[in-house]
Amino acid sequence: MFRYYLKLGTLSIRANPILSILMVAAIAIGIGACMSIVTVRHVMSGNPIEHKNDQLFHVQVDNWNPDDPYEDPDGAPEQVTYLDATALFNAGRAFRQTTSFKTSRVVQPSGDDARPFQEESRATTADFFPMFDVPFLFGSGWDRSSDETQEQVVVLARELNEKLFGGEDSIGRTLMLNDEVYRVTGVLDNWNPVPKYYDVNNNPYEAPAQIFLPFSVAIAGNYDNSGNTSCWKPIPDGTGREGFLASECIWIQMWVELQNESARQDYMAFLDAYVEEQKLLGRFPRPLNNHLRTPAEWMEYNEVVDDEVDVLLSLAVLFLVVCLLNTIGLLLAKATRRSKDTSLRRALGASKAELFRQHIIEAGMIGIAGGLLGIVMTWLGLRGIENVFIEYDFIQNLVRMDWSMVMLAVALAVVSALGAALYPIWRTCNITPANHLRLQ
Amino acid sequence: MLTMNNVSKVYRTNTVETHALREFSLTVEEGEFVSVTGPSGSGKTTFLNIAGLLEDLTSGTYELDGRDISKLSDKERSNVRNQKIGFIFQSFNLIPELNIFDNVDVPLRYRGFKADERKRRIEEAIEMVGLGSRMSHLPAQLSGGQQQRVAIARALAGEPRFLLADEPTGNLDSHMANSVLDLLDTINEAGTTIIMVTHELSLADRAKRNIFVRDGQVSDSAPELHLASLAAG
Amino acid sequence: MEIGPIWRAMLQSKGGYILIALQIAVTMAIMVNAIAIMQERSIKMARPSGVDEVNMFSLVSVGFKPDMDEKALIREDLDQLRNLPGIIDVVATNSHPLRQGGWSEGLHREPGVGKSVSSSAIYFVDEHGLDAFGVNLVDGKNFAPEEVSWDSDSDDFWPATVIITQALAEDLFPDHEGSYVGKEFWFNDDNPANIVGVVERLQAPWPTWTGVERSMLVPLRRESEYVRYVIRTEGGRRDELMPQVEELLSQSNRDRIIRSVSTVEEARKLAYLGDAAMIKILTFVVTLLTAITGLGIVGLASFSVARRTRQIGIRRALGATKPAIVRYFMLENFIVSTVGVVTGGILAIALNIAMVQAFSLTPLAWYVIPIAMVTLWIVGQTAVAGPARKASNISPAIATRST
Repeated sequence: MFRYYLKLGTLSIRANPILSILMVAAIAIGIGACMSIVTVRHVMSGNPIEHKNDQLFHVQVDNWNPDDPYEDPDGAPEQVTYLDATALFNAGRAFRQTTSFKTSRVVQPSGDDARPFQEESRATTADFFPMFDVPFLFGSGWDRSSDETQEQVVVLARELNEKLFGGEDSIGRTLMLNDEVYRVTGVLDNWNPVPKYYDVNNNPYEAPAQIFLPFSVAIAGNYDNSGNTSCWKPIPDGTGREGFLASECIWIQMWVELQNESARQDYMAFLDAYVEEQKLLGRFPRPLNNHLRTPAEWMEYNEVVDDEVDVLLSLAVLFLVVCLLNTIGLLLAKATRRSKDTSLRRALGASKAELFRQHIIEAGMIGIAGGLLGIVMTWLGLRGIENVFIEYDFIQNLVRMDWSMVMLAVALAVVSALGAALYPIWRTCNITPANHLRLQ
Repeated sequence: MLTMNNVSKVYRTNTVETHALREFSLTVEEGEFVSVTGPSGSGKTTFLNIAGLLEDLTSGTYELDGRDISKLSDKERSNVRNQKIGFIFQSFNLIPELNIFDNVDVPLRYRGFKADERKRRIEEAIEMVGLGSRMSHLPAQLSGGQQQRVAIARALAGEPRFLLADEPTGNLDSHMANSVLDLLDTINEAGTTIIMVTHELSLADRAKRNIFVRDGQVSDSAPELHLASLAAG
Repeated sequence: MEIGPIWRAMLQSKGGYILIALQIAVTMAIMVNAIAIMQERSIKMARPSGVDEVNMFSLVSVGFKPDMDEKALIREDLDQLRNLPGIIDVVATNSHPLRQGGWSEGLHREPGVGKSVSSSAIYFVDEHGLDAFGVNLVDGKNFAPEEVSWDSDSDDFWPATVIITQALAEDLFPDHEGSYVGKEFWFNDDNPANIVGVVERLQAPWPTWTGVERSMLVPLRRESEYVRYVIRTEGGRRDELMPQVEELLSQSNRDRIIRSVSTVEEARKLAYLGDAAMIKILTFVVTLLTAITGLGIVGLASFSVARRTRQIGIRRALGATKPAIVRYFMLENFIVSTVGVVTGGILAIALNIAMVQAFSLTPLAWYVIPIAMVTLWIVGQTAVAGPARKASNISPAIATRST
C-alpha cells in the first residue's frame, strides 16, 4: 500500500503542478529563513572542546572591591591578577594548568626590503597545547622547562608559517620579534575554534593568535596586554611596572585540567584555602566567591551568543508559522479540488484511516521536497547574512552549514508539512461522499 | 407589458455558428400566466436567459413596459433584473451559507432599500409562502418543496413586473410540485404576470397560454403534431 | 452594506477565513515588532559622537626596538604632523568615539575607593585635544600647555584638572544649577579632579554603553611604544592626506611600524554594523513576509471565488451589478482583515512584551500598530481586488444551468 500511496501522491502532485510548487516554495522559504538563523546560532553556541568539556575549568577568584562587586549582584572577576595567577600556577595542584593573555609582537622578516608587521600573539604556558588539543603540523609546543628558564621559543600558526617560511617545516629556525630572536618549536595545523572559549573577552569569534610564546618571557619583557585590564584599587604612585604586577588589576586568563570529579573538588578546596590565606594578608576583602567553570559553563556565563541572534530567531520562527499557514490554505484548496476523487474512493470502500494514510504520505512527500529546496534557501539566507556582515572578517566562520543543520532542515520541513496537513486532511476525511458525486 | 420583436440568438465561435433561437416575435400582457414548453435542447433555456436578461440577444428588440431593454449597459440590465424580474430556478439556487431571511434579502440589498423596508418585505414574502416559522434556518434544513417556496418568496419580495420560472417543480415530487403550482396560481390571481419554462405537459396545462419552442423556433401555435412529439419526449 | 449576511455566511465555513485572519495576525505581529526594532536601531545609529567625524582619522605607531626614546618620538611626530598643510590638529591619545575599545574609570564624589557614583570614558590628550577632536567647549577653558604632563605606562597618576562632557557633569552633580566649572570630584584616594571646562558632547568609545555620553579629557601624554594619533584635517582633505601621513611617519622612523590607519567614519560603520545589518535583514524579512501574505490572500481568495461560482451567478441573476459583486468580496476581505489586524495588534503587543523582557529591547511606540494595520488592510484589499474582479465577470447565465 505504501508504494501505491507514493504513486498516488506523485500523480496528485503532477496533477496540481502550480499548487504543489507553491506549497513546496512556501515551506522552503519558511525553512530557509528559520534555518539560516538556527545555523548561525548553532555555530555561535558551539563548543569546540565538547569532548573534553568536563575536564577543563576556568579559574575565578574574587579579589574585588568590598564596596562594589565586579558584576552585580555577586559576579566574580572574569580574569585573575598576576599575583594570583603565578601563586596558583606555582602551587601546581592541577594535572595541567595554563595562564595566558593576549598580546602582540612586531615580526621582522629577514631580508633588507622586508617590512616589519604586527601580529596578534598569545603569551601562555606549555600545557596550553595539550590542554586544548591544539593540532600541530610540524613539531610541538615547548615543555614546562622552557617556561621556567624563560626560553625565547615560539609556536607559529599555519598562516604565519606560510608567510615567513613558505609553509615548510620551520622547526629550529629563528625569527625576530621586536628585535629579539626566537626559535620555532612548532607550527600549528589549521586551528580555528569557534568560539574561542579559552578567551571570550573582546571577540570570541576572531581567529586565534598567530604567535604563541611563553608567559614568563612576556612578563620579563614587559609585553603589553592587548586584552582587557580592570583595576579597582589604585596602584601606588611611582611603583611603575612592579606596582602593576603586585596590584589587584585583573588581566590574565587561567585554566586548569582536572581529570575527574574528586580532582575538581580537591582543586576547589585548594582555591578556598588559598583565598583564606590571602585574606590573612589583607587581600580578598569580599566573601569567598571562587568558581571553576567548564568551557560550556564559561561561555554561557559570558553570554557568548548575542541576543541579536535570538531576536532574529524569534521572528524567523513566526515567519515559518506564516509560511505554514499559507501551506495549510493551499492544502485546503487542493483537498477541495479533489473532493470528487476522495468521495469516489470512499464510495468504493476506502476507510477514513486509509484516506488519512494516503494524504499524510503525500504531505510527507511535499515536506521532503520542501526540505530539499529549503536547504538551498538556507544556503541563500546564509549568503545574505554573510553579505550584510561582510566587514566582520570572522563572519565566514559563522555562516557554515554542517550535516546536522542540513538534516534538521529536512526534518523540520517534513514535520511542518505533516503538521500543516492535519487540518486539511481532517476536512478531507470527513466530507460526505454524496455531496460530491452528483447522484441524481 | 413585454414585447420581443424579431429576436434571435446566435452563438459564434471561430469555427462554428449555432442558431440557438431563430427570429421570433412575442408579446405578453399584464397578468398573463404563460408557459414556454419544448423538449430539452430546443432552446428554451436560451429563451429563458434572453427573457431574463441573463444573455444578450443577437438581433431584434426587447421591450419591457415600453422601454427597450435589449441594448442596456450591464449596470442598467442588472437593475432591471433586480427590480422588474423575479427568478425562480429549477435547482432553487439558494445560497447554502445564508439562512432563509438572508437569502430572501439578497436581491433587496441590491435595491438600496432601508433596513426596515427590507425587513417588512422579507417577512411578508416568507409569510406568504407559509414559512414564517423557519426564517433563521439554513436551506440544508428544509425539504425541496420548502426550498423552492423560499426561492418564490425571494422572487416576490421585490414586487417584480413578472416572475420567470425555470422548471419550478423539476426537482420536486408530485405532492410538493402541486403545492408549488397552487402557490403560483394564487400569485397569478393576485395580478402578477408569470412566464414559466418547462418540458412537462402537465405543467404547461396549468398555464393559461402556451408558447412552444422547438429546434430554436419559438411559436404560438401548437399543432397536434407538436403535442404528440412532446408527449413522446 | 451587507455586513450582517456576509458575517453570517462566513461563520458557516469558518476554516478558510480563520486561516487568512491568522496569517494576517501573525504577519502583523512580526511586522510591528520588526518596525519597532528598526526604528530603535535607526535612532541609535543617528546619534552624533560630538567630534568632527568626517574629517578625522587615526593610526597607531608600534615601536619594536628596545630602549626607544618614546617621548622624543611622540614629540617629533606631533611636531611634524601639526605643521603639515591641510591638517587642523593632531593628538596622541588612547582612543576616539566609536572605536569600541578604550579606557573607563569609576568616579567618586569623596576621596576613597568605595562604590563609585559615576563612571566615565577617559581620553588622554594635550592642549590640542579640543581642536583635534573638533568638540564644542561650552563652558570654562582649554588646558594650558603647562597643565599637560607625561606619564609612563603603569603609574596610577591622575592630573588635577579635567574637561568633562555636559552629560557627565549632570550625572556627577545632579542637583547642581549653573556652571560646573571649578567643581571637584575624585578618581580615588588621593586624586582629586577639578573641572576646568565642559564640552557639549563627546561620546565614549563604546556606542552600546548606557553611559556613552559620559567622557572626559585628561591632560596626560602617555609614554609607550604604542601611540595612537588622532588627526583632524581641513574639510574634504582627509582622503588625500591619509596616505601622505602614513608614508611620512613610516619613513621618519624605522624603529616603528604604522598600522590601523582608518577613518572615524569607518569606525562608525563597524561600530554600528550589527544594527545596520539588523535593519537590512528585517527590511528584507518584512517585505518578503508581506509579499507572501499578499500572495496567500490572492490564492485563497481566487479559490474562494471559484468555489462560489454558482452563487455569484445567482447574485448577478438576481440583479447584482458587477461593482456590487466586487464590493461584496472587498467587504468580505475587509472584515477578515479587520479580525486579522485586531488579533494581530494584540499578538504584536504580547510579542513585544516578551521580547522586551527577554532581550531588553525598547518597548514599541504606539503609532507603529496603526501604521501596520493600515498597511495590511491595503495589502489585503489589493490582493483580493484581482479575484474580486474575476468574480464580477462571471455570467449570470450560470444560474440557469442545471448543474
